[in-house]
Amino acid sequence: MKELSELVFGKDVRYSDDHEWASASGETLKIGVSDYAQDQMGDIVYVELPEVGDTFAKGDEFGSLESVKAVSELFLPVGGEVVAINEALEDEPELINQDPYTNWIIEIKPSDASELEQLLTEDAYRELLKG
Amino acid sequence: MVDSKTTVLHEWHEENGANMALFGNYDMPLWYKTGAKAEHLAVIQSAGIFDTSHMAAVSVKGAGARTVLQRCLSKDLDSCLGKGKPLVDGRCVYGIFLKEDGTVIDDAIVYQLQAESFMVVVNAAMGGEIGEHLSKNGGDDAVVIEDLTDRVGKMDIQGPQAGRILKKIIKDPDSLFEKLIYFSFKGGFDDCVSSTTVELKDGTPVLVSRTGYTGEFGFELFVAIDKLLPLWKQLLAAGSDEGLLACGLAARDSLRAGAVLPLSHQDVGAWPFLHNPWQFALAWDEEHNAFTKPFIGREVLVKKEWDKFTLPFAGFDPRKIAAGDTASVLSPEGETIGTILTCTTDMAIGRVDGEIISIAGTVPEGFVAKGLCCGFVLLDKNIEPGNQVVLTDGKRKIKVEIRADVRPNRSARNPVGTMVE
Repeated sequence: MKELSELVFGKDVRYSDDHEWASASGETLKIGVSDYAQDQMGDIVYVELPEVGDTFAKGDEFGSLESVKAVSELFLPVGGEVVAINEALEDEPELINQDPYTNWIIEIKPSDASELEQLLTEDAYRELLKG
Repeated sequence: MVDSKTTVLHEWHEENGANMALFGNYDMPLWYKTGAKAEHLAVIQSAGIFDTSHMAAVSVKGAGARTVLQRCLSKDLDSCLGKGKPLVDGRCVYGIFLKEDGTVIDDAIVYQLQAESFMVVVNAAMGGEIGEHLSKNGGDDAVVIEDLTDRVGKMDIQGPQAGRILKKIIKDPDSLFEKLIYFSFKGGFDDCVSSTTVELKDGTPVLVSRTGYTGEFGFELFVAIDKLLPLWKQLLAAGSDEGLLACGLAARDSLRAGAVLPLSHQDVGAWPFLHNPWQFALAWDEEHNAFTKPFIGREVLVKKEWDKFTLPFAGFDPRKIAAGDTASVLSPEGETIGTILTCTTDMAIGRVDGEIISIAGTVPEGFVAKGLCCGFVLLDKNIEPGNQVVLTDGKRKIKVEIRADVRPNRSARNPVGTMVE
């Protein structure tokens, strides 16, 4: 398991308590999981994704990651409508292990963009991981 | 709370980035930096080593040793190598220790070191209980039972390259591998002396057993506990060019589930040992009609009043449902018919036109094994292989197929000669 000092953090991303991240790209947000999350889960073998057009509120479960260890639900850190899913993950779920920030999971159009600002900064997320 | 225990390889595990978790009250590696998938695949394609020194061993010696084991073990030591062929020096056998009520105390491999000396290898933390069980049932027979927990250094090397890697560190490999058939062993260590001797090149006495818990070709190795770390490091070095990986419990679990082997206290446990895929562990006669000897627990099994069935299954993709309180098994019509005992993903297999294909066999062009979930369910009724059931955790549902077997092309029984050249 990675030590805190070994964990990688994303560029221009905010984090949820559930170890998802959100990052603004223009009008939309890309959503993924943190390095801590993928390290805890171990090898990811299957990604269950929502459909484009699905709408979720903040905190809703939008999919799941299956690792060798368990099934981990994915919770949306910011509410909105799914505008894209990362289809590459269907064939290569291990991409999330390789780089959890480049390999986003879904892209959403937020219903309330201010929800992004309520998420944890890197410093606040580091504090959370210190426990 | 009881403090957790560690094995002598604990420091090595931590230094090598292992993700650790409690198992049988031991702090054990789940996987290393390479990840469980790479570790699982290494055992199918090359080889892997496993720290199994959390497992326990009990020494049973004396004129009455065989009688006591024969009384307690579910397998008939007088005909376990075929009809009328008794267990002999250098052979070992898999069996179950049952309570009077037919439920499982633990599963075990019994090694005949010499006519009046046996080593019984059981699961983590079970040395004391099995030792007491054997003592309690010793009767008037002259037998000395000793729990060897914390004195035995045990590790496994498994996979098609296991023999070639082990060969590099053994003093006289030709003599070791000669006729070393499945479920036989040579050598000894400490007080566990057999009629043969095997030494590492550095002179360390070792017991090499042609057994394992992955379904693949390989060995379980026993040394004095202070010799385990040197042995582990020697094998890692010897296998560095062959793709050998240190493997954690996650890979061990997914490999053994694909090989349809039970995890004690999870797939066999506090219910009668009947109606399951492991009938080879019982003292059945050739016709499978009657038991060939008396043993503790037999009376309950003979009555066959237990009406639940343990069945292997495999899914159609890697998705799984975690075994747990909320998990259940449904019939295709939605009726609850049982519980999940084990559900994991064998990452070396996939399906082509419904048929399970392993990367160990011949694969169609372009085949990529994405893995299939597999494991065991405990059902209220028998379901024939080929039929489907549904696993659910209350939220998600996945269809799986009841199977007679899961991962094809397993190498465990390959002739040793072809595996060490």
